[in-house]
Amino acid sequence: MHPILANQERLAIYMLAWLIFGGMLAAVLALPNDFLWTESLALAVPLTVLYGAICLSSWYLCRVFPLHKTGYAQLLLLYVIAGLLTSSLWILIGNGWTLLLERLSLFAPLNARFIAKTPLLVGVGFILFTLTVAVHYLIITFEATKVVEQRELQSRILAQEAELKALRAQINPHFLFNSLNSISALTTQNPAAARTMTLRLADFLRRSLRVGAQEFIRLEEEISLTLNFLEIEQIRFGSRLGVEQMINEPCTNCLVPPLILQPLVENAIHHGIAQLVDGGTIRLQAEWSGSVLRIRLENPIDTDRPRSRRSGFGLENIRKRLKAIYDTDADLRTEEKDGCFTAELSLPAQTSRAFSSRHRADNGSGLRDVSNN
Amino acid sequence: MRKIRSIIVDDEELARSIVHEFLTPHSDIEIIAECSNGFEAVKAITELKPDLVFLDIQMPKLNGFEVLELVDKNLSVVFVTAYDQYAVKAFEVHAVDYLLKPFTKERFDEALERARQKVARNESFPLSEVVADARAPDVPLERVLVRDGSRVHVIPVDKIDYVEAQDDYIAIRFEGKTHLKQQRLSVLESSLDRKRFVRIHRSFILNVERLARIELYAKDSRMAILKDGTKLPVSRAGYEKLKGLL
Repeated sequence: MHPILANQERLAIYMLAWLIFGGMLAAVLALPNDFLWTESLALAVPLTVLYGAICLSSWYLCRVFPLHKTGYAQLLLLYVIAGLLTSSLWILIGNGWTLLLERLSLFAPLNARFIAKTPLLVGVGFILFTLTVAVHYLIITFEATKVVEQRELQSRILAQEAELKALRAQINPHFLFNSLNSISALTTQNPAAARTMTLRLADFLRRSLRVGAQEFIRLEEEISLTLNFLEIEQIRFGSRLGVEQMINEPCTNCLVPPLILQPLVENAIHHGIAQLVDGGTIRLQAEWSGSVLRIRLENPIDTDRPRSRRSGFGLENIRKRLKAIYDTDADLRTEEKDGCFTAELSLPAQTSRAFSSRHRADNGSGLRDVSNN
Repeated sequence: MRKIRSIIVDDEELARSIVHEFLTPHSDIEIIAECSNGFEAVKAITELKPDLVFLDIQMPKLNGFEVLELVDKNLSVVFVTAYDQYAVKAFEVHAVDYLLKPFTKERFDEALERARQKVARNESFPLSEVVADARAPDVPLERVLVRDGSRVHVIPVDKIDYVEAQDDYIAIRFEGKTHLKQQRLSVLESSLDRKRFVRIHRSFILNVERLARIELYAKDSRMAILKDGTKLPVSRAGYEKLKGLL
């Protein structure tokens, strides 16, 4: 879309400017007494306004040859030629106009006097053309900035939405309301414990929000967040929930997508521990074998539980995320055997972000796309 | 004045303790038991016959609704739950008292006051209506619960061969055993998966997987022969339903 033609307000300002140019040109022609004022106005004003309309076409040149992508010499050559051609065309039209005016015999013969002014007119036409080109470039730059700003704003909004969605999805309402109920109970019985739990919950929520906005975090941070969550659940479940961890030290530097373990521990609690009268122990293991980082989560499970209470949704979400980030290089496997549920994540063991950016460039779909789903 | 005998059922100790704490100032309430899972709750309610139960919904083994299904409904219930979108809707519809965790003392006292009035009127709990509405839609029943004294048997529905109506009871046949349950056959029928269980006769629901063949005995009189040789009558409507499935 032409930025001036498409906008009525801009078009009006633009044409008004050309009307003024027309007046000015009329003055230039009339002042040396070569033309009468009426003659110069009748010549200059319609011709200049028409020239304004013609100069609008320079926008197409501006679009094809963007400022920052075209060399100065090339630009100079281009607009000198284009300017001379356009102004010459204008003079031709002007010539026709004088002949027409002569034919109508409204004024004394104009054509000869007009031709005498050709060099001046070509110069004026050239300057006006260049001016229009400059205006077009200005508008293009201005609009590009606006588009970039808008896109930035939009992507910021989208990112925030994704964050909120992620938070809503990862903060299980059972977890939140039961935790708050535990705090409510502790307030009278053990105020210090109530405070501890409030702080842990606040810490967990704040950290979830923060890491949720990141593309990758260190495994150390992810595990610390997971343990944070389990500590809160331990207050709720008391002796029913045990936690064991075996983390191979060097792996803690590996990068993982944030909150990738969260749905797994939540399942372990909700479908495992919470369904068992005597509870049990959740085991978290991480090890580095070759180029693969393996994270295992084990929890006891009630073998008689109804099928509708079995998990599935959270796991599907993790798989989708892994596919989007690592394509086929990552995997989530689950197994249920003898009352024990095991979930094992295998990810490429990476300690720098190089991998992620390369991969994102490859398949074009990043974390954001997934969290929008 | 006779005290209102109450039981608190919740799998979380802290959750039980806050109900306990809020009940303490009410001298007309006597807490006779606290249970941490559904089996314990069924046992305690059956043996102690309380007037009032504070019942959590999400619990190991049996949820709150399953507990109520197995006990004498002649009691008042206040449900206590953290989050359950379907159940809360059902509670609203049927004016069942419930508390959403965490709850205030005022909210608790209100619910208790209404429960007191129900105890005084000897109102029994409208279980089947509430349960029908509280279940998540489109989730067919996966297990049938029966109580034998204070013991609970959990029968996964795929182990059931067939169910027969016997007066006020239904007899559930599975693995060569029979368990009786006080329920109407039509209530069970409506909660079972219609693709797997068919009401083949006024008095029989059949697990379709057990069917070996259908034999014609007389005009409009058929028999379903099960894989173990059992013969069950098939009504004309039942035969149409079976034909639609097979």
